Amino acid sequence: MNSYHDPELDDVLQDDELRRLASMLRSARRPEPPVDDAFRTGLRRQLMHEAWAISEGRDVWWRRLFAPPGLAWAGAVTGLLLIAAVVVWQAGQPAGGLTQVVASSQLDGKNSVPLAQPIYVNFNQPMNHQTTEAAVQITPATNVTFSWDQNTLTVQPAAGNLAPNTQYQVTIGPSATTASGQRLNASQTITFVTQPPATPTAAPTPRPSPTPVLGEKQLGPILGATSLQAQWSPDSSSLYYVDGKGALNLVPAKGGSSQTIAPDGVRSLAIAPAGDRLAYVRGDKIEVLTFATGKTDELAPTPAPLLVGWAGDRLVWATADGVYQQADGRPAQLAPLPTKGTVEVVSIAPDGAHAVYKQDQNLFILDLVTGKSAQLGQSGATFQGWSPDGSQLLYSTADGLVVADAQGVTETTLPASGEAAWSTADAILVGNDTLLYQVHPDGSNGTRVSNGTYHFPIWAPNATSFAFIRGGSVWAATAPQLPPIPAAIDQASAVVTAFMDARLKSDSNLATSMLDDSGKRAYGAGGLALIVNGDPRFSRYYVLTQEMVSTQPDTARFVVRLVLTHGKIDVESYEETLTLVRDSSTRSFLIDGATAGTHRTLGKGAEVVNVVVAADSVKVTFDSDLDPGTVADGVVILDSKGNPLNVTTTYSNKTVTLSGLDLKEGSSYRLVVLTTVRDVLGHDVAAEYDLDIAGPSTKKHDNHRVVVTTPSPSPSPSASPTSQS
Amino acid sequence: MSDPSRDEERELVERAQRDPRQFGALYDRHFQQIYRFVYSRVREQTAAEDVTSEVFMKALKAMPRYQDTGRPFAAWLYQIAVNAIADRYRTMRPTQALDDFHDLSVSGPALDDLAAHRDEVRRIWALVEALPQQQRTALVLKFQEDMKIEDIALAMGKTAGAVKLLIHRGVTKLRDEAASLRPVE
Repeated sequence: MNSYHDPELDDVLQDDELRRLASMLRSARRPEPPVDDAFRTGLRRQLMHEAWAISEGRDVWWRRLFAPPGLAWAGAVTGLLLIAAVVVWQAGQPAGGLTQVVASSQLDGKNSVPLAQPIYVNFNQPMNHQTTEAAVQITPATNVTFSWDQNTLTVQPAAGNLAPNTQYQVTIGPSATTASGQRLNASQTITFVTQPPATPTAAPTPRPSPTPVLGEKQLGPILGATSLQAQWSPDSSSLYYVDGKGALNLVPAKGGSSQTIAPDGVRSLAIAPAGDRLAYVRGDKIEVLTFATGKTDELAPTPAPLLVGWAGDRLVWATADGVYQQADGRPAQLAPLPTKGTVEVVSIAPDGAHAVYKQDQNLFILDLVTGKSAQLGQSGATFQGWSPDGSQLLYSTADGLVVADAQGVTETTLPASGEAAWSTADAILVGNDTLLYQVHPDGSNGTRVSNGTYHFPIWAPNATSFAFIRGGSVWAATAPQLPPIPAAIDQASAVVTAFMDARLKSDSNLATSMLDDSGKRAYGAGGLALIVNGDPRFSRYYVLTQEMVSTQPDTARFVVRLVLTHGKIDVESYEETLTLVRDSSTRSFLIDGATAGTHRTLGKGAEVVNVVVAADSVKVTFDSDLDPGTVADGVVILDSKGNPLNVTTTYSNKTVTLSGLDLKEGSSYRLVVLTTVRDVLGHDVAAEYDLDIAGPSTKKHDNHRVVVTTPSPSPSPSASPTSQS
Repeated sequence: MSDPSRDEERELVERAQRDPRQFGALYDRHFQQIYRFVYSRVREQTAAEDVTSEVFMKALKAMPRYQDTGRPFAAWLYQIAVNAIADRYRTMRPTQALDDFHDLSVSGPALDDLAAHRDEVRRIWALVEALPQQQRTALVLKFQEDMKIEDIALAMGKTAGAVKLLIHRGVTKLRDEAASLRPVE
């Protein structure tokens, strides 16, 4: 890619190699750094506080002007200016006319006004406060308070914030008068649109490690062990490991003297998910150490156990002929192993639902519920580890490191070789003779952590510390955190944004590239309008709600409101429900389906602008201040049979909160806003508003982040599709 | 023909000079780019927040003295940022992160076996981290922040020729150190 051309640098980047590097620098955009929104708004507040202090400390012009040192000069200059001003003013005015009153605001025409922003209206001359305040009208209906600073009127929503995603019109009616009693010639209107509500984040943004020093510590000798059989303590402070002599040792991660838990014969160990017990196979027995009491219990099943694990609080173990658990005080076989060839269980999943075994040179995953097996890769594949929840696993082949699901289906192949471990923060650590490498399961953010020997890495539960083998010893170290993987809902959201932006720009080719075949049919002939033409024009959009509705494949549902504008005033809106499905080959989301609701006329009563659904509550934000007395009976939730749910309704700052709910994941509900809901000016909601919602998902998606409070509505299915083209 | 966004910016600046309470609009407009630039230099969130606060607080107080020279307002903010970062490191050693990042990513065997495209572009920026500070700043402002040479010159307190020389030296040094880098396709 040597096509880089920047006229400013033509004379300094004269050879192809320099231009190629410049091109790489230009293309290698860095990700946006982590910004703490609290810092951003806090700094703004601090600056505004300082600005107020500056402006209050600054003498008003006339005081400076008439101060003794400037009085003589000021007098002369003022006299001249007054004469000039009068001449100019008289020339520019109709006979008998007065200076026109002008109201302006820096918010006028703005499209992303912060919700906490007061509305400033600047007048070009002193105003009568009483008549001006009485002449202010705000759409949507909003209770406000007024304050004045010289010729600037500050209009502040009484409830605190403006509504999100809303076009406001602040009109100063002609009854406003100046201090000298002059009326406005005509109404003057300031129009602006507020920004979307803040998006709740699933987890705080991890700060990058400023000093990725690994802090390696040698913990103890492995005495000839060929791999690392180890388990971290639940608090990540110490490591249980088995040395080459079969002794089970406990050693602090920060180094120090080790303690022998069992002197010999140990071959497999597993800590219970609750972190209270450690099980290990010793000789022909399973010994279970309870940390709280220090007591060790024994279990001697037949056939002899070879490998141990846990399924919740139950022991699971493998023998030469199958996988067992304890039931009614006796061993019960969960699944048999094949009888042909040389068969050996390699590992039991952390959730106890699957096991991996080797049959001759082939690797298989065994479902312990169904007893069915699926081969992992080709002959010669080597098991590497499980995801922390046991739903995915890692194995290595000649092609690299394979991430597969619990059915053995490949999800990603990472170009890495070595032994691997999967952390609770979804970082896969790969170590070998020469380096340590870290990568997300989807292949993103691959980073070389260090050079050197790092065999058999094992992550601690804190996803920061890890153990490994180097030389004849076991070591512990810490790895820098990888940036988080965008949540599936965020990935889908990016596609919706790109799709809607392309439509706003009437770029049908770009918009179509985000549709799969089914999506193309939805926007095809006789379907929805991909490019919205005409007057009123499609001027802006916003996402009303969004949610992940299922996995395998990941499926997301978005309700997008399209706003139509005539002149500069929003006059209509309608909603599209978009279904996005993750493409199995590219792993990116495509729009698979779309339906549209009916058009609604704006400016006729309160509108819903945001819905946030949690299992126990639903928050419905309106664009207007409501008459609280109309809220309790006017905003209801129905179950799938149309029966209203018992809720406690509260109202504050344009938001109705329905609490005391117990929404079941995946169940259907409908939010209904009846026409009895009135705004503070007495306008009823123009037409009943229905939104279908689903009980919020708490499932893990493919990147193991939990989406817990994303809203989930869609417009009423009775709404008819819209065609505008 | 005048540039509408420049006209708008000029108006915002004039308003903020008349009334410091209008500075919020300039803050909203420039926060992200200044924070990004500062973060790219200090590579630590707390330090980036400290320096960004200092930049905007100084800018607010110095607004009455600001003179529109025809360059973007952001160039002036970058100038304050460059000085604030330099001040910070005059009294403090740079964090280890920059050098460590460079060491880990640049030395050692080639990354071809493991690193795909993402690693490659990351690696070249890692090489930038190892450049002398002035070259590094010039490259970041030119290629990451997409600034014009004249604006960089204002921000760095240098002539346009000096900035070009810094970029030339920086890119040449990258070429010498990164002979094995593949083109980004």
